[in-house]
Amino acid sequence: MIINGVSIDKTFAEAFPMKGTRIIITAQNIEWAMHSATAFTGFATSVIACGCEASIERVLEPSETPDGRPGVACLIFAMGGKGLAKQVETRAGQCVLTSPTSALFSGIEGEEGKEIALGKNLRFFGDGYQISKMIDGKRYWRIPVMDGEFLTQENTGVVSAVGGGNFLILAESQPQALAACEAAIKAMKQIPNVIMPFPGGVVRSGSKVGSKYKALNASTNDAFCPTLKGQTRSELSPEVESVMEIVIDGLSKEDIDKAMRAGIQAACSLGAENGIRRISAGNYGGKLGPFHFHLQEIMA
Amino acid sequence: MSALTLKLKVELQQRLDCSPLTADKLAGKSPADIAAIELVSGRLSIPVAELFEISGEDITDIRFENSSAKLDHIGHAMSHGRITINGDAGAYLGQFMSGGQIEITGNTFIYTGCEMKGGQIKINGNAGDFVGAARSGYKNGMTGGTIIVSGNTGQRTGDHMRRGMILIEGNAGDYCGSRMVSGTIAVLGDVGKHLGYAMKRGTLLLTKMPKYGISANFNDCGSHTLAFLPLMFASFKKLDSQFAHIDSFSRVQRYAGDIGGIGMGEILVKI
Repeated sequence: MIINGVSIDKTFAEAFPMKGTRIIITAQNIEWAMHSATAFTGFATSVIACGCEASIERVLEPSETPDGRPGVACLIFAMGGKGLAKQVETRAGQCVLTSPTSALFSGIEGEEGKEIALGKNLRFFGDGYQISKMIDGKRYWRIPVMDGEFLTQENTGVVSAVGGGNFLILAESQPQALAACEAAIKAMKQIPNVIMPFPGGVVRSGSKVGSKYKALNASTNDAFCPTLKGQTRSELSPEVESVMEIVIDGLSKEDIDKAMRAGIQAACSLGAENGIRRISAGNYGGKLGPFHFHLQEIMA
Repeated sequence: MSALTLKLKVELQQRLDCSPLTADKLAGKSPADIAAIELVSGRLSIPVAELFEISGEDITDIRFENSSAKLDHIGHAMSHGRITINGDAGAYLGQFMSGGQIEITGNTFIYTGCEMKGGQIKINGNAGDFVGAARSGYKNGMTGGTIIVSGNTGQRTGDHMRRGMILIEGNAGDYCGSRMVSGTIAVLGDVGKHLGYAMKRGTLLLTKMPKYGISANFNDCGSHTLAFLPLMFASFKKLDSQFAHIDSFSRVQRYAGDIGGIGMGEILVKI
């Protein structure tokens, strides 16, 4: 398959099941909501070392938020419900509770009885002065803080999600690869229910499963490292000088399908004349996860 | 299926216990069974058919017509369905109810919504004393649900109230929110004396300063913008009440008390 001179590999990306939730952070204005959301989703690029993968999903209009203030929706994913609960709680406590004028709400309904704590335990920061309010069947906590009151919903829903959807952009130069990634990320940010958790949505250090070092279970994807073309069983043709990867986490396989399609389409729109040669994917021979995203099927 | 309609056809000499007439307790009963249910009135047990003209069969939609203030315990412990009352109702309307809806065109008397756990009661007239309260000697008043009163309430509204919401469009009597443990009482009109007496926790939300002022047992915590208020007002929008139409506000004067006790309750007055 060739789109605008860019070859689409007959391969698939592998992804794995995760647990996810959406939280909504509001504040007096969008700047302060964004400060809090940026902190909340910081150091959350990969579950390998961060414990979770998180990013800002989109900016919300005041009419879309529970308290009618400007807000930001964030998605956060982890390998299991327990890990997710721990990450949400610590991040909410350190990054939202602390942020001036912020309020914190759940942005997703999960399965009955499978909710995780949002402000449920943060309330103890109130040292006995916290106040509970049941509004429309949902419990909120009002925690006195130095700028007034921090309002937080008690719980947030947990849903089954998919993590690790990806595709690789192979280009003739580093600037060209990055330009294609930027175009792809811009298009993918329009798709709801997905995040691209790496810095700017792009990862340059794609990994393979396993390592020569026993302590590591992932290491550099040498087959796609352009400087190793003559040293390893390379996947790269002589003209490819740079490869970048876009990793996608989503609330469902269908959401990731849509995001991958939009991203690949945008990258291909730059075409071969801008140095974009191939689109490939992180295929680990079925070792990484049960969700397979076949590039040519997605782009068909 | 039309509503099960019970039209009172006698002048009651004694109070009448209507607690068997709910969707829960009538489940599986034929019209003949319902007609034969004996209701306690004074020292007598009187079949439903001798007291009411009965029509319709939908037990999840019960209507009391020509209702009187002597009909006690309507909606007792109901968990679902709807009860509509044309006229007045007596004591203990909706006591222990956990779900469903009750609407009354007239007035209710003592202990409306007493110890209710869920559901909604809408009173288009006035309500008596101890709305949403605990029975004498009991520790917990209502623990959930919503009571809307279009008129006024009597004394001790929300006494020992633990959760839920009481929305009063008119005035509340003396000792409103007394011994309240939690929950919210909002009043659009005036409130009587001793507001929040012995209140432990919970919120009394007022749209204007009480005519008798704030008790010395409440300390002024200053004026604040509270983020939960717009959420609460938004939740009122779906109610059949004046509360659905009032302009949302979040700026209030906050008073904490009753400091004669643990002092964790609050009176919020719109500013």
